[in-house]
Formats: sequence, C-alpha cells, structure tokens
Amino acid sequence: MGLVANAGDSRAAVVDRPGAVAVAAVLGYLVLDLVVKLSGISVFFLGMQVLGGSLELGSLLSMVIDGLLVGLAVGLAGIGLSMTYSILDFANFAHGDTVTAGAFLGWVAAYIAAGLGTGAPIAELFMLNSGRQLSTVSTFVPVLLGLVVAGVGSVGVTLLVDRLTYRPMRAAGNISLLIASIGVALAMRYLIAFVFGTQTSGVASGGLRITFFGTVSMTDNEVTLLVVSLLLMLAVHLLLQRTKLGKAMRAMADNEDLARVTGIPTERVIRLTWILGGGLAGVGGYLLVLESGTISFNFGWILLLLIFAAVIVGGIGSIYGAMAGGVLIGLVDSLALIWLPSGLTRAAAFLVLIVVLLLRPSGIFGGVTTA
Amino acid sequence: MSQRATVSAEVTLPDPSERLLAIRNLDAGYGDLQVLSDVHMDVADEEYVVIVGPNGAGKSTVMKSVFGLTTYMGGEVVFDGTDISERNPDEIIYEGISYVPQTGNVFGSLSVRENLEMGAYILDEVPEDRIEDVYERFPILRERSEQDAGTLSGGQQQMLAMGRALMLDPDLLLLDEPSAGLAPDLVEDMFDRIDRINDDGTAILMVEQNAKEALRRCDRGYVLVQGQNRYEDDGSVLLNDEQVRQDFLGG
Repeated sequence: MGLVANAGDSRAAVVDRPGAVAVAAVLGYLVLDLVVKLSGISVFFLGMQVLGGSLELGSLLSMVIDGLLVGLAVGLAGIGLSMTYSILDFANFAHGDTVTAGAFLGWVAAYIAAGLGTGAPIAELFMLNSGRQLSTVSTFVPVLLGLVVAGVGSVGVTLLVDRLTYRPMRAAGNISLLIASIGVALAMRYLIAFVFGTQTSGVASGGLRITFFGTVSMTDNEVTLLVVSLLLMLAVHLLLQRTKLGKAMRAMADNEDLARVTGIPTERVIRLTWILGGGLAGVGGYLLVLESGTISFNFGWILLLLIFAAVIVGGIGSIYGAMAGGVLIGLVDSLALIWLPSGLTRAAAFLVLIVVLLLRPSGIFGGVTTA
Repeated sequence: MSQRATVSAEVTLPDPSERLLAIRNLDAGYGDLQVLSDVHMDVADEEYVVIVGPNGAGKSTVMKSVFGLTTYMGGEVVFDGTDISERNPDEIIYEGISYVPQTGNVFGSLSVRENLEMGAYILDEVPEDRIEDVYERFPILRERSEQDAGTLSGGQQQMLAMGRALMLDPDLLLLDEPSAGLAPDLVEDMFDRIDRINDDGTAILMVEQNAKEALRRCDRGYVLVQGQNRYEDDGSVLLNDEQVRQDFLGG
C-alpha cells in the first residue's frame, strides 16, 4: 500500500487495517521531517519544534552508506541462520559466535601474514596486539588471505560443532537442539575469551578515503565489504537458482519429507547448508571487523540479536529475506540517528521488527518463497 | 453371483519371485504403534492394483511401508526379486519405485520444471527426453513450466506430482489418493490419466477413497480392514460382490 491513496481507498484502509495506516502516517511524518530538515527549515508549533532542524545531504548519505554496509554484513551472516532454520528446523544460537570465531581466525591469519618479516614476535601477532592497523590498500594480500581463512575456518568450526553436537542428536526435538546451541555458543565464546582475552583490539583502519560525487566518502575497507558481500550474495543466488545442489537445498527447505522420497540425499544437503551458512557467517564477521576496525570476543553474540531481527523481518527460512532484512535493519539502525540518541538506535531496529511482524507476521519474504 | 476370494490359510500365494511386488506377512506401523498385521499383497508387471477400505484401515500405511517410510516390524517386501523391507526411501528410489504422497506432493517454491528436475535428482544429468514425455502427457505443465508450483491449481499440482514421480520411468508407481481434493469434474480426467500411465507399461498400486470408480478401472483390488487383508479379487468381482458393496462401497 502506497503512502498516497485516494479518499475512498484510504477510508476503507483505516477501517480494515488501522495498524498499517498508523505506520504509514508515522512514515509520512518522518519523510516529511527529513525533507524539511534537508532544506534547513524548522517549523514550530506552540513553541515546540515539530518539524525540521538541520541535516546535511552529505551526512544523510553517509548514514545510508553506514547502514548499508552493516546491513550487508548482517545479511551475509543471516543467510546461514535462516538456512539452518529452514532446513534443520532449529534456531541456532551459536551462529553469532561462529561469526566471532570466523573473524578471529581470519584476523589472526591476516595479522601474522602482514607481520611476517617486520620483526614483530609471532605470539604478539597471534594475540592481535602488535598495534598494527591493516587496510585493504596497504596490506591487500594479508587482508585477502584473512578473508579466505575466515571463510574456510568457520566452515571447519561449523562442521566440527555439527559432528560433535548436533548430528548425534538430530533425532531429538528442535527445542533440544536450540538449547544445545546455546551451550555451544557459551563454550565457543569463552574459549575465544580464554585464548584472546576480553579486551577490544583495534586491528584495521581505512588506508585510503575515496570520495564519490563530492559529498560521500568511503574507506577502502568499506568498499571491500560492499564489493565482497554483494559478490557473495550474487554467488548464493546463482547457487540456489542454477545448480542442482542449490535447487535441492530449496526443495529441502520447502518440503523435507518430499525431498527424501524424491531421492535427494538429505544428509549431503544438510552438510552443504552448514558449510555455506558457516562460511558466510565467518566472512560476514571478518568484513564487519574490517569496516569497524575493532574486534572483541563477544561482538558476534551482540550482533546475533541484529541478525535474528534481520532474518525474522525478512521471513525466517527465506534466504533472500535474510539479505533484504539485513539491509533494512542496518539502514534503520543507522538512520534512526537522525531522530534518536545513539544509544537508542538498536531499539529502533527492533521497533521496526515488531511493526513488520504485526503487519506481516511471516516476514517480508515469508510465505512468498522459501528460498 | 461370482465367487468371493477371501483370505484363508488354504489360499496359496504366488511365489514372490514371480511378482513385481510381493508383500508377505508384513507387520508395520509408526514408532511403537503397529498399524498393519500380517498383510500380504501382490502386484504383477504392468498390473493396476487398488487398495480400498474404511478410514484408518492402514491403506496409506501399506504404501508407505513399501517405500520405507514406516517402522518395519516383521514380514517381507520383495520388489523385483530383491528384499526391500528394511531399506530407506533414498535407496528404494533406485530400484524403480516412485511414490506420490497424498498431500504436500510438490515443492511449492520451485518452478514446475525444477520440480521435474528434482524427480530425476539421482541421475547425473537432467533427462530432457523424460521432461518432454511428461510435458506430452500433461501439456498444461509445459505452459506453466516457469511458474512456481505453489501457484498451480489442485489438479495441476496432482499432475505435476505424478509427472515428478514418472521422471525416473519407474516400474511401479505408488499413488496415495490421487483424486483427493479435486473438483468432481476433474476426478474422471485424473482416472483417465492414470489409466494411460498404466497402459504405457507402468504398474500401479493405488489407495483411493473413490472406491467404486477405482475398482471399475483397476485390474485387481484389495479390501483392507483394521490393518488386515479382508477381501481380494478382480476389481469387477469386488465391485459386484454383495458383501463388499454393502460394507465398503455404500450399497
């Protein structure tokens, strides 16, 4: 439903879907306010500023880019969560710590590769505390290597966890699996804390700032996140639509019983699901650290709430929903800064989650297409 | 009145090796719950066999047991000389049996063509000639080939489900209530299509609520009651039997 409807339609809409109308009204107010803010006008009513203020177009655009970047990484990590939900039928709470594990593996590899030959002791490099800041431009090969290690490493972690924990209890109910995944999450998080400590380490900072259209600028690290995550999403799309195994994954997400009687090798599809989901989670985490510059033992756990929000907004079980939901949640989280203090932007993201679920309980892509 | 062949100890069952499918003394169910006891059934090459009986008689369970979807509790299921009673569905599909469940029998978010491709998943390459055969048989599927299966009508989904099952050119097709949920004017059409599949050389074992129509068309029928064999004979014989008519065909 559009924001502008003719009088007859809107009267019917008010009666049928008061919630949708209220949301449309709030959105309308925010858009109007945004336009007024951009034109630098303030509107006062009864001594209170009801509209406007000031906002530079450039800072609006950089907020959009920030939101988009975080959203893409969240979406990338969300693909795995959504797939394990639809194919294995349980909400994997260890997914956030897979993100952390992948990021640590990748950054340790990148750090050691970048530090070799500089005389820095390996132990210090391993602990990510030699104080060096990596960037895509200045240390291209180590950053690329770290990316690959993050992907491959988190695949290994995921398969190991599946073998040790989930596979022996595949016949158990999905609530048991969910609880087991919380245990796995705790174990992984504190294993990482045990090895690397609980401090936050600065590991990356942009090596080059590129300005587009005179107003917007991005660092090389941000461009890397943008390009790599878009490429990976395209690759996932092609895998699902063009390859036999990808189609089998969609089939299995759609109807597991039918997949089994059709002769689809379900165990193999499950393994591929873990591989793909785990790998993307690790890469997502690695890229997010590249963009934000810092890494700590619990950043994936904190991110998990956003990932869940993204997956649920998009329609849990839908891979395209996870990508779209990630971007939406990222954008909301970032753009909420225009109206809210920075401590409350997370709340705005969850408010959007609640509103979407009230209007469309199965999520944006839910019920439309399972993959 | 024609003679009625009830099951008794004297009936000598054919040697399983002479039949495409032979079920002997089968006990099966779900978990701890036994549904079938001492069931026997035969399907010859290119034969069309129907299972009828009241609700809860275990008709679908027979079919699921053939396909390895139930808990095996005893007896044997022999297909083409091989004992398949304790095999899994993903192994049985290689033997030449395809199964069309009653509900949820298409992948709703996959296109019609992708559904057919999944039907031939165990082959290395997509068999274009088989897809072509299915399109010849069900022309509406060719028209809808790029559409998501979930958007098809009930009758079209049923055709797609059969088409998917025919992708491997099976020797035996298991159909679970193919006319369920179809509009009355489509039921005849569905039975005609099943006749043609059988005429082209595929043996059929079918469960059907629409018992009269199914018995009219099949070669042989079995009446199953409370998980046990009650009657068996040629379809037309069962159809004309006073007792069967009264108890199971509504007079």
